[in-house]
Amino acid sequence: MKSLHASACLLAAALTAPASAHFLVVHTPEMLLDRSRDIDMSLVFTHAFDGGPSMHLDGINEFYAMQLRAGEDAMTRIDLKEYLQPIEWKEGDATVGAFKATIPRNSMRSLGDYQIVVDPVPYYEAEEDIYIQQITKVIMNVGGAPTHWDAPLGLPAEILPLNKPYTNWVGGVFRGVVLSDGQPVAGAEIEVEYLNYEPDFANHQFTEGAKVEAPLPGYEYLSVRTDANGVFVIGLPKEGWWGIGALGVGPNTEYQGKELSQDAVLWVQAKAMN
Amino acid sequence: MKVLIAATALTLGLPAVAHSPLFDCFDNGDSTATCEGAYSDGSSAAGTKIQVTLANGRVVAEGELGEKSSYDFAIPAEEYSVVFDAGHGHQIVLFGDDIY
Repeated sequence: MKSLHASACLLAAALTAPASAHFLVVHTPEMLLDRSRDIDMSLVFTHAFDGGPSMHLDGINEFYAMQLRAGEDAMTRIDLKEYLQPIEWKEGDATVGAFKATIPRNSMRSLGDYQIVVDPVPYYEAEEDIYIQQITKVIMNVGGAPTHWDAPLGLPAEILPLNKPYTNWVGGVFRGVVLSDGQPVAGAEIEVEYLNYEPDFANHQFTEGAKVEAPLPGYEYLSVRTDANGVFVIGLPKEGWWGIGALGVGPNTEYQGKELSQDAVLWVQAKAMN
Repeated sequence: MKVLIAATALTLGLPAVAHSPLFDCFDNGDSTATCEGAYSDGSSAAGTKIQVTLANGRVVAEGELGEKSSYDFAIPAEEYSVVFDAGHGHQIVLFGDDIY
């Protein structure tokens, strides 16, 4: 643990300044499926709490699932890019580019975990004159047999969950480790945002009606920093999807001659104890 | 009703045990089906007994989940069910109607 700690301190010094409060929403209604089925997924770059404004998603470099079947040792990569379909996501009276996918049942039918990874083309944020790239993970499970939800994938920027992301009760806490090239990042800035509007897969828009109201804009996203070992803890006070974004933690700091904020995003789902 | 029972068994596994058995089967689209099992702690169910039985009780296929915790069988032409027998009286029954 000491060596991890030392690495974390070094990495903290090398990181660039974080960028802003955007989230790559990679959404399907349920992360935990009782049985395999076709999976509808919306991919929208937006402000999750406000359900917009959404930004144009230029493209997706990689979209895949890492699968580990129960009792096996090695992960299998399932390429999902062929199922991506560019769409126009409604943004007020206009639209912005986004993507959706229907992943056929046979692609993810075995019992176990599926770590879904989206590696998007960096987005140019004109206001800040920087690029943002949010490498995003959604960890799903089919059938209730957990396998490798807590295994790192070796992504440049990654949040490693310490709690199972697809089974959380409202009122519980969620812990994770922020990794840059596999090493913990001390002092990383993390934004936490509630997905306050339900994505409407069929109609390419967020459904109307916020689930919660923020008393002040400052409550729309919460901030926390990782400790010396790169670990963070957040609460989950409301049922739904929670986005966790570690800003500017990736090793790549430049894209097309401009500053790049290479972020790690992990989505977590919480259920109410009714 | 059969489908409902089968779906419930899948969802709940078998309650009140630390590591519940989990089981599902898929129609491969070539007149065969593949069944897979696991335990709720993520461990393999390799070696678990599987039986394919017609509505009249006749067993048409039986074996064990293999190394990859899976078992293949030819889909019977008539009504059937698959029994996953985890031992100690813990069985999961999946009816043919619910294998697709």
